[in-house]
Amino acid sequence: MSKINIVRIHNELLGTYGDQGNAEVLVFRGKFHGITGNIIDVGYNDPLPTNGDIYLLGGAEDAAQLLSLEALNRDRETLDLVIERGAVILAVCAGFQIIGNSFWAAGKEVAGLGLLDVSSTPGTKRYVGDIKIKSTNLEIDLTGFENHAGKTILGPTAVPFGKVLVGHGNGDGKFDGAINGNIFGTYLHGPILARNPEFADLLLNRATGRKYSQITDPLAVQYATWRRKVTK
Amino acid sequence: MRLAISILIAKFAGFLSKNILRKSGETIPGKVLLKLDSSAITKLSANRKIILVTGTNGKTSTTKVLTQIVTKLGKTVSNGTGSNLNWGVATTLMKKSDYAVLEVDELHLNNVAKAANPIAILMLNLSRDQLHRMHEVKRVADRWHELAKSLPGTTFIGDIDDPFVSYALSGATQSIKVSFGGKKHQDGAVCPACGKYLTWSKQNYKCTCGLSNKNPDQEFESASAALRNANLANVAGDFLGAKPIAINESELERSVLRNFGGVEAKIRLTKNPASWKEALSSITKSQVMLVLNARQVDGIDTSWLWDVSFVELAGKKVVVTGDRALDLAYRLHVQGINSIIEKDFSKAIDSFERGAEVDVLAAYTAFFSLVKA
Repeated sequence: MSKINIVRIHNELLGTYGDQGNAEVLVFRGKFHGITGNIIDVGYNDPLPTNGDIYLLGGAEDAAQLLSLEALNRDRETLDLVIERGAVILAVCAGFQIIGNSFWAAGKEVAGLGLLDVSSTPGTKRYVGDIKIKSTNLEIDLTGFENHAGKTILGPTAVPFGKVLVGHGNGDGKFDGAINGNIFGTYLHGPILARNPEFADLLLNRATGRKYSQITDPLAVQYATWRRKVTK
Repeated sequence: MRLAISILIAKFAGFLSKNILRKSGETIPGKVLLKLDSSAITKLSANRKIILVTGTNGKTSTTKVLTQIVTKLGKTVSNGTGSNLNWGVATTLMKKSDYAVLEVDELHLNNVAKAANPIAILMLNLSRDQLHRMHEVKRVADRWHELAKSLPGTTFIGDIDDPFVSYALSGATQSIKVSFGGKKHQDGAVCPACGKYLTWSKQNYKCTCGLSNKNPDQEFESASAALRNANLANVAGDFLGAKPIAINESELERSVLRNFGGVEAKIRLTKNPASWKEALSSITKSQVMLVLNARQVDGIDTSWLWDVSFVELAGKKVVVTGDRALDLAYRLHVQGINSIIEKDFSKAIDSFERGAEVDVLAAYTAFFSLVKA
């Protein structure tokens, strides 16, 4: 039985679009694998814990996004340490933009944390609707819901998180998100791990360094399969 | 074309829609009227007192209470059935009256208010809802704030325990700020006025920029959402010169009773995280049905289900149905709550015994189709 710490970063700020559910799904899927997941909620004024195995960031409105970035910059050293250790990071929407090189919020461009080689700019229209991508890591389709105005451009060293099949993703309609080792950025809400249990399992594998065998949770399969079928 | 002729044509269109298409007849006349005369709302608002009611939750029931209060002052019309976009407003205003109490959608408020020049606007609350349409809560608050600044002759009345309402009212020349001793807001981590981290001490907030729920013009005891709104209606009524009505918490209309094939259903409308929380805390029975669709007015994204804890349902018999029953079922599953999934409402009803009393929480479109059944 292994134990993992799941750090939910600034849910009070990055919790506008339901992404807090990702932590619950990790704990739930973990149980099937014999992993005990412990959720640590980190507030704006709290220091970033050093003992996390998976760090989660969610979607937010502009002002909240800027506050979260400010707090993470305060804990820059911890963050670098954690990444060097190989911790898993899943950042969604505003969170994805935060961990890129730069993004726009509240009418100005700001430097991001630079964990992914991407930069985001304000788009002329908002992308709202169901999205389906072909995942780079899993070679399967992932579904979710996108709701953002930002466009994200991949830098030369960035690998996309997936290829867009339905929806807009990074805004070009070709790719969604970006990955760098154990760092994942995406525009998929849903929450993404609730809609795509296979991806939750991948994150658990990466966090523990083990390869868990497939588990049977018929309802999860039914839900994921149905969303893949209807998102077209 | 003269307004009177436009109204005649619009009424005829409404008659056809109601009698031939079997529609509610609340939308079509207003749509036709505004097509024929885009300034119809302004013209029809002259020479009467208009009061608008807006907010994420409680618009329809608060409008009903306020209409009841204002009716004592003179003939009052209202769009009491929740047809709250500009054409619903136009349809209602086609009837002559001294007063009009109108519920207005959060995003349509500015257009309607600028056309109608209301004597008062009652702002109940603002929280995350239909984000596919609203996009961001702050975006709606900014629009309200801008509206308050642009209507110096209108009195803005609102619950300032809600920082978004407080921010909107801060732009008004005339306002009545009401507090119920504070209430923690799920979306209240950031100051809507200045963007700083909002400091809360228990139920109360205070920002360095000055936004706070301290020093209200009127203060009441802490209350449920429904009771807050009824009190706010009394404050608005009082402003107009009407006598307040006695409010009995247990009589406030929150649910509708219906019998479906021998099953006694107590149906309550739920729309968004804030209203689901209120509704879940009101469940008294051991058998529960949840109905979820994700059609436009419901919000087409179901991610918000994960912002709600369904822990109150543990140990109860839970049946889920509606277009998005599976979204609900999986959400409950992860929280350790088993549910029976039935695609069809009548099958969902069949899974209860005859004579069973069931708490039904239904999202917007589902609620109205059940209540009409």
